[in-house]
Amino acid sequence: MGMTITITATTPTTMPDPLADGGEAALYRLLAWTSPAYPTGAFSYSHGLEWAVEDGLVRDRAGLERWVAHVIEHGAGWSDAVLFVHACRAIEADDWLALDAIADLAAALRATAELALESGQQGASFLAITRAAWPAPALDRLAALREGRPVPLPVAQAAAVAGAVPLAPALSALLGAFAANLVSAGVRLVPLGQTDGQRATAALMPVVARTARAALAAPLEDVGTAAPMVDWAAMRHETQYTRLFRS
Amino acid sequence: MSLETVGAVGNAPAVNLSAVTGLANGMGGASLPAMRSVQPPSPRPTARLQRSDGAGRLHFVAAGGRTQARGLYQSDPVRILFPVPERGEPLPAVLVTTSGGLVGGDRIRLDLIADPDTTATVGTQAAEKVYRSAGEVTRFAAGIAVGSGAWLEWLPQETILFDGARFARTTEVNLESGGRLLALEMLVFGRRARGETFAGGMLRDDWRIRVDGRLAWADALRLSEPMAPLFGARAGLDGAAAMATVILAGAGGGEARDAVRAVAEDRPVVRIGASVVGPVMIARFLGSDARILREAVIAAVGRIRNRLAGLSERLPELWYG
Repeated sequence: MGMTITITATTPTTMPDPLADGGEAALYRLLAWTSPAYPTGAFSYSHGLEWAVEDGLVRDRAGLERWVAHVIEHGAGWSDAVLFVHACRAIEADDWLALDAIADLAAALRATAELALESGQQGASFLAITRAAWPAPALDRLAALREGRPVPLPVAQAAAVAGAVPLAPALSALLGAFAANLVSAGVRLVPLGQTDGQRATAALMPVVARTARAALAAPLEDVGTAAPMVDWAAMRHETQYTRLFRS
Repeated sequence: MSLETVGAVGNAPAVNLSAVTGLANGMGGASLPAMRSVQPPSPRPTARLQRSDGAGRLHFVAAGGRTQARGLYQSDPVRILFPVPERGEPLPAVLVTTSGGLVGGDRIRLDLIADPDTTATVGTQAAEKVYRSAGEVTRFAAGIAVGSGAWLEWLPQETILFDGARFARTTEVNLESGGRLLALEMLVFGRRARGETFAGGMLRDDWRIRVDGRLAWADALRLSEPMAPLFGARAGLDGAAAMATVILAGAGGGEARDAVRAVAEDRPVVRIGASVVGPVMIARFLGSDARILREAVIAAVGRIRNRLAGLSERLPELWYG
């Protein structure tokens, strides 16, 4: 996505314009929050890919691209994107009851124990780190609202983004980071060279772009997946003999 | 959870879909989304002019240490039969849809209520066929309430999605802690004996499981055109001709998961996985042969009910017809 080009697309009219400074602050935040260096532990999750490689479902770069593309467009990528969009809108509308329901749904829509951990642990970490380093009222409010209950990753991300970064580029960046993280897992697992990994990430750009575009227009009832093989792979991963990843 | 409140939905049998979503307190727009979507009218009338708008309601109560069925309600094309229980088996109820299959625009509503300390098995007499639809969606909604100490089994036979079927199903479970539900659903994609696949159409399959009113697990399967890439993708359905999900909600998830894994070890042909998310055990089955997959599902369900409820590993006879 041409982030700096599309960044003016959907600034909410009710919010102070986060691009008043030309967009540098919004871009800076996005780059920090989607960096592999942001300490949420993303690197430790493969989202079932470790079993897919073990089972021979993913053997090379082309297979990795196809697997990740499906996860983005028809799996958790899509589902979390729609949840993220609706969570952002709920926060911007100051509708915390709606946000709580979205968080409950996002937490419940986890097909396996490891996929639930992947979203819940990263969500909790993202919220804690962002509250400490990038404090904002929405983050505190979310933490208080969900005290003792899970904070799924897309909801934590929404609390950071809402009011600070325009929705469309934020969604593209977060989806892109998810794709890049899975590619990075694939590079270690298949294994592939670092350059091949970057080729895969580049090849996934149009998938991320069209998934983000569709998610921005999707009603909440479109949350769902067409990826039962990912669920199955994540289930089989629980008993995989040798494991590098937590999912 | 008030079982009476849940049961009240069954007293409004005219498939009042808003009453269904009304169960989902606190869910806002996220509850049972498929129920609310209104499809554009079919461009052409379907072959059968009269639409089915049927409902069934079954309320199991404990009476003198035994389970009895009360509060029965049925409207065409739903019929509920009560075969004589096999020795040592819980009270069985069998659902029949007398229309011989569901077409676009058909709506079926089913409510199962198991009072505290009851034991019951509900199944279907035959596989359910969902025919091709020119536009309108075929809807099936199940509301299941399970009281503390109850063991309820919802074990319908497979749903066969004809090529071009447009099917939306919701299964909404309200469990009291201490209650347990063993449920399965099996989907066959196309009339496989004819070499048919589910090449076009739509499927929305939603699960919501609440324990003591709190959403514990949700699932939303979404298949829409173009279908070929979804069935072709390794991360999608990878060529599956059928898939099944088995759920054990309530205590004993770890044991249920291990029972499924033991079944999986004997059946490398079927992809079988199981996991426990909070109070819910989920098992997925994917296979290129619907008959072999069905046998694996029966074996897994049998093992779970035997290990957790001391029932026979052999399912009610209609599963073996």
